[in-house]
Amino acid sequence: MEYALLQAVFLPLLLSPLAYYIGRVKGPTYATWFTFGILLYCTILVINASLGGTYEEHYPWTDLFGEFGFLLDGLASPFAIMIYVLCTILALYSKPYMVHKFEEVYKQIHNIKEDESDGQSTALLESSGLKTYVNNQSGLYFAMFLVFSMGMLGTVLSTNLIEFYIFFEVMLIPSFFLIAWYGDGPKRRIALMFFFWTHVGAVILLLGFLSIGLTIGSFDFADIDETGIPSDVVIIAAVAIIIGLGVKLAAFGFHIWLPWAHGAAPTPISALLSPAMIGIGAYGLFRLIVELLPQAYADLSIWLNFWGIATMFYGGAMALMQDDIKRVFAYSSVSQMGYVLFGIGSLSAYGLAGAELMYVTHALGKGLLFMTAGILIVQVGTRQLSKLGGLASKLPITAVCAVIGALTIMGVPPTSGFMGEWMLFYGAFETAVEEGNDWRMLAFALGLISTVLTMSYILWMLKRVFFGKIPENLTHVKDGSWYMLAPMMVLAGFTIVLGIYPDIFLQKIMPYMNGLGL
Amino acid sequence: MVSIDTVASDPNGIYVWLIWLLPFIGALIIPGVVRISKYVPGLTTGRVAIAFAAMSAVSAGSLFLGALDGIEIHDQITWISALGLKAGVLADPLSIIMANVVGWISFLIICYSTGYMKGDKDITRFWFWMMFFIGSMQLIVLSDNLLQIFFGWEGVGLASYALISFWYRDKAKDHVGKEGRTALGIMEYYSPTHSGMKAFIMTKVGDIMMLAGMFMIFAFAGTFGLKELLYETSWAVEMSAQSLLVPAAVLLFGGAVGKSAQFPLNEWLLEAMTGPTAVSALIHAATMVKAGVFLVARLGPLFFALGAAGIMADQFFEIIAWVGAITALLLATQGMVNPEIKKVLAYSTGSQIGYMMMALGVAGLSTQYVDGYTAGFFHLISHAMFKASLFMAAGSLLHVVGSRFMTDMGGLRKQMRKTYAFMWAAGLALMGAPFITTGFWSKDAIFAAVYESGSGWALPIFIIAVLTAVITAFYTTRMIGMVFFGKNSKHIEKMESEGHHIHEAPLSMWIPYGILAVLTIGIGVIGLSAEEGIHHLFTDYLEESFGIHTPHIDLEHSETLGFLSGLNPVALGSSLVAFSVGFGLGYIFYIGRWIDPAKFINSNIFFYALHKLILNRYYLNSMIYWSFVIAPLWLARGLYRYFERTAIDTGMNIGFERAIGWGAKVVQGTQTGVAQSYLYVFGAGVLFVVLILFI
Repeated sequence: MEYALLQAVFLPLLLSPLAYYIGRVKGPTYATWFTFGILLYCTILVINASLGGTYEEHYPWTDLFGEFGFLLDGLASPFAIMIYVLCTILALYSKPYMVHKFEEVYKQIHNIKEDESDGQSTALLESSGLKTYVNNQSGLYFAMFLVFSMGMLGTVLSTNLIEFYIFFEVMLIPSFFLIAWYGDGPKRRIALMFFFWTHVGAVILLLGFLSIGLTIGSFDFADIDETGIPSDVVIIAAVAIIIGLGVKLAAFGFHIWLPWAHGAAPTPISALLSPAMIGIGAYGLFRLIVELLPQAYADLSIWLNFWGIATMFYGGAMALMQDDIKRVFAYSSVSQMGYVLFGIGSLSAYGLAGAELMYVTHALGKGLLFMTAGILIVQVGTRQLSKLGGLASKLPITAVCAVIGALTIMGVPPTSGFMGEWMLFYGAFETAVEEGNDWRMLAFALGLISTVLTMSYILWMLKRVFFGKIPENLTHVKDGSWYMLAPMMVLAGFTIVLGIYPDIFLQKIMPYMNGLGL
Repeated sequence: MVSIDTVASDPNGIYVWLIWLLPFIGALIIPGVVRISKYVPGLTTGRVAIAFAAMSAVSAGSLFLGALDGIEIHDQITWISALGLKAGVLADPLSIIMANVVGWISFLIICYSTGYMKGDKDITRFWFWMMFFIGSMQLIVLSDNLLQIFFGWEGVGLASYALISFWYRDKAKDHVGKEGRTALGIMEYYSPTHSGMKAFIMTKVGDIMMLAGMFMIFAFAGTFGLKELLYETSWAVEMSAQSLLVPAAVLLFGGAVGKSAQFPLNEWLLEAMTGPTAVSALIHAATMVKAGVFLVARLGPLFFALGAAGIMADQFFEIIAWVGAITALLLATQGMVNPEIKKVLAYSTGSQIGYMMMALGVAGLSTQYVDGYTAGFFHLISHAMFKASLFMAAGSLLHVVGSRFMTDMGGLRKQMRKTYAFMWAAGLALMGAPFITTGFWSKDAIFAAVYESGSGWALPIFIIAVLTAVITAFYTTRMIGMVFFGKNSKHIEKMESEGHHIHEAPLSMWIPYGILAVLTIGIGVIGLSAEEGIHHLFTDYLEESFGIHTPHIDLEHSETLGFLSGLNPVALGSSLVAFSVGFGLGYIFYIGRWIDPAKFINSNIFFYALHKLILNRYYLNSMIYWSFVIAPLWLARGLYRYFERTAIDTGMNIGFERAIGWGAKVVQGTQTGVAQSYLYVFGAGVLFVVLILFI
């Protein structure tokens, strides 16, 4: 199909004003299904395009920057598919969550107390003021949601450094507004902090891009050949790119913004930020460092390896200490990105493939877990672990999905987590043996040990939310609406299918990774 | 013979696939059955579970006769084509016999569960995980490659987590241990959800070792397949040249240590008793802990066979033997003092598994590999039968008495005659009562294998084995004595006075453990020929599959013993002595009740201290908690408070903000708006430039 990727990227952007309009006029339900429809169509386009092997589109752009292209190869397609699948599914999930949120905010603005009798609050719900408010806000929300989605997809499909940078920043703007408008707590301050940190990271990234592009006179990926760049420029560019992407990845040292942003963002957005967006940092490392600057990659890989280890342990240890469930998951994302970083540092096809599969896995598993947190916020009204407990009997479907998500993060078969994990650890081991490098062997051993840490914080979280004695004020909690449960069930099913039959993605990933010639 | 590239296939393969697929299918349809059972009379989840467990067992049974002829079914399909990995089943005599043990015992336990779990409102979840458990175990047994085994391996761990914390509401009656008791500051009182976590995490420690071992082999051999590894052994030569072969083997064994609750990863097994008793029976007799032994039996011959190529893995077998011996003694001693019936049985399981490991270990140290191998595996079979029976009987007791403490039982032999009889039968097998129980023959075979192995370690291990046998006989007698003899306890009297009538467990419960108890004695009577049959079978199996040749030994020297010909007189003698000493001591304290054990323990400081040490689990559990739970949490808390909150959060967030604000103030200070000061600065600048240009 012609223009498939162009449509997939720009259709959401072009139709976002329409989503706003529909939300305003028709209300959240229509806006939800409209958004869902667009994204579903685009997802099908992406999946369809990826079926026939590598797929490319090129469009003319300015002479200054080069070509404006889209490339869907073995590396990009798992990222692209996962990003759009998550966006599509979360569009549905957003509806009950955001409506709940808008109503809460409306009540806050108008100083309406929670403890009014049921009859009055139903009357309130139907009151025109609230309705207009909800309609307006949902229109705005879904418009931003669409722009956010296209920004992420554009980044992983781009074939040009400047194009990459533009999309990289495009996804930042809507996510800033989504947090600043719909977040919890000191949302504006946190949104600003998120914006500053990732923007500074992006600017450092741009410095790296410029130093490459200006040296060789082209920004197209296809033209970048490391041998043509002076080695001192290469190393500076590589370090700049790694730091820039490290901020996005929230690797240890640059992770400060992540727990705040993920904690404050409205939950569907946390579920996009965490698995889909920060992983794009990993995509950048694959494309820009591993593929385009192989020598710099070979030199720096062991540092990435240890940086990954530090991130794994640090994120895991911090996750143990949190009482806010969303912050547990936020630190868990830090830790999981450590796994990805570790895999990228493994310098072997298996390890890289495992790291990419880890991204997919994390998207599924962490998506499920954040969605669980969202259900808790809507249905239970708290996200403090110390106030939860024994909810498995009250929220059975949520509990099952959460456990599947948790198993995915822990890397227990038959979920996809195991497939990612064993490959990336094996890759690290293989390189350690081949090089006879004791440091790498140490990193491998530490990495395996950190899986126990991951398991501990996840199981402990599950225990505190779903098992044990149920607090007395939670005895009337009910399971979430189907808008929330059905998306979770889709993800839960997918993680198991992928865990048993990982060929779905590996058939794309492995040829690409083998082609890197490591 | 299979090389890496070919895909093996076998027309009978489908039966093998079905053995492990059927329980999974059953697990998946059970949640659906709940929905339609309202409309279909007679359709209950329990019956569906029984049907699928039976079908799986029958398909295992259909291969049994073939196993006696030494057939081998190897069937593969492509799995992860991107990595060139295949999934497959491998049914050889070892795995077929194991599949039958697992299948039939699980089937009986499932039948028993219909009575035991009757009326539990979470019954669907129970059946789902029980079937998942059985399926995962059969997957381990029948897989033809390590990666697939690992799937089953983790599946078993997952199912155990789910079932140990089955009663997740953490009611006081579902806990284990005594409230308020501590050892070195660590509570000895665990809730089901805590125990489930503990089991999952502790076995995971073993699992990562196994994973590392698998990676080592895969890195050199490029395959996970068991047949492929055997077909081409150049990988072993290379590994051994880099002295990585033994570490790899030991790491693989690490997985077995975790799963089979061997020292030092044994502590999860006790808390696993929070699960329903049917689950404990399944974990201890058919699945989970047997997986470790099976893995050693599966991989041991592979490493032994390498000996023919001059690649020795002696340290590997020595480690197995010693881990087994230490565990056997360590856990048996703890079984002597514990007041909870299920915990006594749990200690006993760990200890008996230690025996099996010991046998499989010494096998590799002797030239007669098949002796130890047969002994270990025979003990696995007999243990599966009597331990399943004992656990199910204990479940009946718990069900009837409503307490897990043996001190709350007492004098039940009149009220529960059938359970009493069956528990004696199975208990005698555990003690190794001479000539009529399977336990006797299998334990005797282990003694003989250890004694005859010719290894330098044979004597100390043999002494430990005999000592453990004495203790085993003692604690089993103690258990039966405390439960069935003496007067009814106050607890029972109170129950009776409140109108509860203490009576025998229902039919669906006592029949399964009755069958196993009878079988234990039945097979025990022909025990020697049964063992010889297995011995013969395994001799052929090892010869054909692994090329391990067993030299024939002249048996004439022992002909004097008549029907006991072929038995080692030292082993036989020690076995008899161990039984009589242990049983005698137990009788004195707990059946005859001539001496009060409490008074005896308190009679002098040495016994008192020893009792306390053993009751506190040699403080091993406490030390594990201090070093792997409390210390890391303390470390994480410190890191969170003094690094994340200060250096990262405050430093990088508020610190940057302040720094920029301060910088802005400094710059602001220069913007005075006074023309004169601007002019001064301008003049200074001009002067500076001029000076630079001229100097």
